[in-house]
Amino acid sequence: MSEAQFVKVKYRLTEQVATPGGMTAGMASDRAQRELAAHAGDAMKSIGAMIGRLETMVRDQEVSLDTVYNEASTVLDIAGLFDKRVLCDACYSLCELVDRQRAHNRLDWASIGVHVNALRLLWTRDGQDPDSLKSVVDGLWTITDRLAP
Amino acid sequence: MALDPKIRINLDRSVVLLVEQNAQAMDALTAMFRGFGVRKQFKATSGAEAMHVVKTQELDLIVADAAMPDMDGYDFIRWLRRDAPDASRFTPVIMLTGHAARSMVEKSRDCGANFVVARPFTPELLLQRVFWVAKDERQMVVAENYVGPDRRFKNMGPPLGVKGRRKDDLSTHVGAATAPNMDQSDIDMLLKPMKAQL
Repeated sequence: MSEAQFVKVKYRLTEQVATPGGMTAGMASDRAQRELAAHAGDAMKSIGAMIGRLETMVRDQEVSLDTVYNEASTVLDIAGLFDKRVLCDACYSLCELVDRQRAHNRLDWASIGVHVNALRLLWTRDGQDPDSLKSVVDGLWTITDRLAP
Repeated sequence: MALDPKIRINLDRSVVLLVEQNAQAMDALTAMFRGFGVRKQFKATSGAEAMHVVKTQELDLIVADAAMPDMDGYDFIRWLRRDAPDASRFTPVIMLTGHAARSMVEKSRDCGANFVVARPFTPELLLQRVFWVAKDERQMVVAENYVGPDRRFKNMGPPLGVKGRRKDDLSTHVGAATAPNMDQSDIDMLLKPMKAQL
C-alpha cells in the first residue's frame, strides 16, 4: 500500500468571505429565505404533479421499483430545499421502503400505495396540525420497518 | 453550533458552481445563493456539464446534488479530486443528499466532499456550511483509495502501539517516564538568562 500524502490547501473562499463589505450572516439568511419564498408556490405545484405520477404508478403497477424510487427521491430533493420536514420524512420513509424492497427482491404495491396516499394528504395539509401529521409519518415508518434493512 | 447572525460574510466575488438535475431544485438553490450575495453562479444539470465548467472556469465552491442523470454526484467529486485539472482539484465541495440508498453509503463516505448536507435544510444551515468550508483547515489526503479532506476533524494521534500514517504522527498516550525527574537547579539553569556572546 502506498503512503498517504497530506497536502495543505488554501481556499480562495477563505479570503473572500473575510474581505470588507458583504453582509451579516443573519441578513444573508433572511435574503435567501425571501428569494426562496418566491419559488415556493411553483415548487409545491410541481411536488403535487409528482405525487400524481406516483399515484398513477401505484394504480397501474407497471413500473419498476427504480422508477418509483427516482420519483420519490425527486420529491424529497425539492421538498428538502423548502424545509418541508414532515413531507420529507414521509418521502424518506417511501424511499427507504422501496430501497429495502429492492434489496429483498420483492415488490409490495400495497405498502407503497399507503405511502403515496399519505404524501397526498401531507401535501394537501402542508403546515397544518403538525402533531397529527407527525403521527401519520410515524405510521409510515412502522410499515417500512416491517421489512428489515 | 449555529452560525452567529452578526458575523459578516462577503461572497460578492465568489464563483459558485451549482450541480442539480431538477429544474425546480436548481431554481431554489440559485435563489438561495443569490440571497447569500453570490453574483457569479454557474449551473450544470449533469455530470458532463459540471466537468466542462470545472475544466473551463475558476471556481471557489461547488455545490452538487448526489443524484444526477449521467453520473452521480459522488462519481463527479471522485473525478474532480483525481482527474480534474490541478487548479480545480481541491476546490471545496458541499454535497447535497436526499435519501441515502444502501448502495451509496460507502460511496458517499469516500467521495471526498468537504461537507455533506442532508435534506431538508434551511438557507441558514447551508450558509453555515459555506462558512465552515471557508474556515476548513483540514489538509487534503491523497491516498490510493481516498482523495479529499482529512476525515478526522480532531487529530487524536494513532492508537498506542500503532504506527501513524503521517511522518509527524505521535500518540497522545504519554506513557511512563524513561528518566528520573530533573533537579530544580537543572530547571533553573534552563530558564536562567545568559549573556549572549555577539
